Amino acid sequence: MRKSNLTHRILRGIYGYLLFFLLVAFLVTCTTTLFLHILSENLHIEYTAQNIGTAAKLTFANVIVLSILYTLIDAIRRRFTTQRMTRHITEAAKRIVKGDFDVRIAPVSEFGMDEKFNEIIDCFNKMAEELQSVETLRTDFIANVSHEMKTPLAVMQNYGTLLQASNLTDEKRMEYAKGVIDNSRRMAELMTNVLKLNRLENQQIYPQVTEFDLGEQLCECLLQFENIWEKSGIDIESDIDMGVKVKADQELLSLVWNNLFSNAFKFTEADGKVCVMLTTTKHHAIVTIKDTGCGISPEIGPHIFEKFYQGDTSHSTQGNGLGLALVKRVVDIMQGEISVESTVGQGTTFSVKIRRV
Amino acid sequence: MFKILVVEDDIEMNRTVCSFLNQNGYEASGCLNGEEAYDALYSNMFDLIVSDIMMPGVDGFEFARNVRELNEDIPILFMTARDDIASKQRGFRIGVDDYMVKPIDLDELFLRIGALLRRAKIASSRKLEIGNFVMDADEHTTYLGDEEIPMTNREFSILYKLLSYPKKTFTRTQLMDEFWDADTETAPRAVDVYMTKLRAKLAACDTFEIVTVHGLGYKAVLK
Repeated sequence: MRKSNLTHRILRGIYGYLLFFLLVAFLVTCTTTLFLHILSENLHIEYTAQNIGTAAKLTFANVIVLSILYTLIDAIRRRFTTQRMTRHITEAAKRIVKGDFDVRIAPVSEFGMDEKFNEIIDCFNKMAEELQSVETLRTDFIANVSHEMKTPLAVMQNYGTLLQASNLTDEKRMEYAKGVIDNSRRMAELMTNVLKLNRLENQQIYPQVTEFDLGEQLCECLLQFENIWEKSGIDIESDIDMGVKVKADQELLSLVWNNLFSNAFKFTEADGKVCVMLTTTKHHAIVTIKDTGCGISPEIGPHIFEKFYQGDTSHSTQGNGLGLALVKRVVDIMQGEISVESTVGQGTTFSVKIRRV
Repeated sequence: MFKILVVEDDIEMNRTVCSFLNQNGYEASGCLNGEEAYDALYSNMFDLIVSDIMMPGVDGFEFARNVRELNEDIPILFMTARDDIASKQRGFRIGVDDYMVKPIDLDELFLRIGALLRRAKIASSRKLEIGNFVMDADEHTTYLGDEEIPMTNREFSILYKLLSYPKKTFTRTQLMDEFWDADTETAPRAVDVYMTKLRAKLAACDTFEIVTVHGLGYKAVLK
């Protein structure tokens, strides 16, 4: 490797030298011929073979020396400009290949340097930054998934161990068994959501677009939560315009409503209220889902659509932080818009805007 | 006692579902694949079938189709990991009565089996009885005690539907789609008029009531 590198450099040296030699030889020949020609015509000097011979030898030696000089100067210039920069960039690229995304190249500011290098360096730094953030997302995702999966597993294991004890009261036995059931349910929900999101992100589900009544869909989705609001005593207010048609994938869109409703009921207290409204503008249908729950603080607000982001960082309450990521993804696929307004302690309002027929 | 056939290739899953159903007053037998299930059906009478879709050999779709060819009425419930709408559509088109996605909640399975069996009974006897309130689908008559309650065809159909699925809320559009002509110009609010009429006619009946659910739809609630 190193040897071939050396021969390569020697060959490149010879090639550079030859280039300069030919260039200098050409220039010198032209100027000398011109100079001698004019001189002999004006001063009527006759050249003898002998003095031409001497002059030619001297000039030839001069050409050789000049060529060597230029080759050297050029090599030095290259070393300090092009080669140094390319070496920097190559080294940085090699570090990225090895997975070190922290590397950044300092832009050159010395004058006389090629401006193009700064462009390359800029692009390179941007690339490194992007790769770094993708890598952070990936490792965060894995960390989150494994945390979210391992926790319920560990809890189930513990309850299983507890259940093995011989002298359990019925009450305890029921409690432990319920723990196993609740946690397996939590894990099942997580799996379903991870798979759905994964399918949506890889675009394996292509939206199957049909025209349907949005109001009817909202009613049907909302009715799936009938048990919950009856049990918790949450008040429902619905103001749903009938006959509002949209063209969309029905199954995907129902994911949006189910997740938003589920959140609204999850975060609303027993004496609270959940409002669902469907209104229209000329080209759009606007669905507003409003609850009187705990609200979202301004610091949390911007992150709620991120995967695995949960308002409370302890991951202690139910849910897996994927619901709103799913919602956002679907709304994006439908080319709709989603917005949130929230006041801590007073409630949250989600608005989804989609094109109507 | 109702007899239930559970077709599921995972031994543990099969065992737990069967044990649960047996604990809850049914007589469940498990089969690990389609062939075994055919044999079981051949030698026994079952009231309901719970089946997986992804099984080695005969898969759930094929199994359900073959069962449907021989028996139009037996309720079939699919219990599967496949949650895509295409599989659901395929299942319902074959004639499956209900569909649950794994991991299933056993309590929910119990409720759904109860509902399926009740509907199967209503469907086979064509008669609906709630206390002293009786609806006969063949004669289109409604009796409260000895007294006949006169009803139009549409009123009868709507009430029969609501009472066949007690506690389930139907949206106006769902009822419209089923009991009005497809090309009707009537607004879904027309359903409200029928509900008012039905309530007036059923004022004396105290075994159930028709409840309006937050402007979303209607359901019958047994008392």
